[in-house]
Amino acid sequence: MASEKELSDFLKSVEKRAFKRVVYAVRDDDAALDIVQESMIRLAEKYIDRPAQELPLVFQRILSNATMDWFRRQKVRNAVVRNFSEFESTSEDGDFDLLETLITHDDSTATESASDSVSRSQILLAIEGEVAQLPTRQREAFLLRYWEELDVAETAAAMGCSEGSVKTHCSRAVHALANALKSKGIEL
Amino acid sequence: MTSRQHTAPRTQADLDALQTRFALRLAARLTEQSQAVSPDISERLRFAREQALAAARPRLAAQAADAASRSGPSLALLGGWGVKIASVLPLVVLAAGLVLIQRWHSSTQISAAAEIDASLLSDDVPPDAYSDPGFVEFLKTPRD
Repeated sequence: MASEKELSDFLKSVEKRAFKRVVYAVRDDDAALDIVQESMIRLAEKYIDRPAQELPLVFQRILSNATMDWFRRQKVRNAVVRNFSEFESTSEDGDFDLLETLITHDDSTATESASDSVSRSQILLAIEGEVAQLPTRQREAFLLRYWEELDVAETAAAMGCSEGSVKTHCSRAVHALANALKSKGIEL
Repeated sequence: MTSRQHTAPRTQADLDALQTRFALRLAARLTEQSQAVSPDISERLRFAREQALAAARPRLAAQAADAASRSGPSLALLGGWGVKIASVLPLVVLAAGLVLIQRWHSSTQISAAAEIDASLLSDDVPPDAYSDPGFVEFLKTPRD
């Protein structure tokens, strides 16, 4: 059973990476913080009786589930909003979507312009941007396998898929990142 | 020839190693970037951590109490015979010690008396001489 100190040390070691991982998925700092907090509390309440060495895997699983729950809630909420918005004119919705798209494109062009002589912080931002743009399962596999340093079996357990799927997702993610960064003139 | 060496097909293991090395380099950059979160986010993460620890405390306390109660029955089991043994054992040790001391004392006295008897019996003067008043007087008389 993990002690309070072990739990505290573990959460301290993982909190920033967890936050970033969720931000890549939900693209909203506040939502990411809520998800991380919810995951931490769920880990502390339900799984504190597990040995300390099991906490990383359990926490990653909880974090993935909490993120999925957030997307489900968003989907339901958006469906409700869409149903109500059917009574309104569609032009406002169109403007809103366009604005969001423009904001996204502004971010990407800002990172794209940072090629060749780009500063270190801009390179890091570009890498983050490319990771955030990966398909969800590829990003999850990549981050769990190489960032959280879980092995293939643990990653598969955390993602609820087979080890073969993990290898495939990781390979595709790495190739996609390599191509995207190469196209921006970024070499590691 | 050199170009052939460069274009030699890589094995799957080589490709995996390259992929892993590249991925770990990327992960290192991500770690570097993840440490640079703004102070308000760090503060909110710290608050979230404290909330989680507060949520864990009742369960930790309950499990500590449970562990104590689990170790309690073993003391209670000992209480039937163990406590009796623990209370009687010092008395037994004390009594045994007193008996040993008494025996040692009496054996010391016996050996001292035996030494006196042996020295008397082996002396030139016979033991009956000590009961003779004349011999006692002879001993008391100072020699010139």
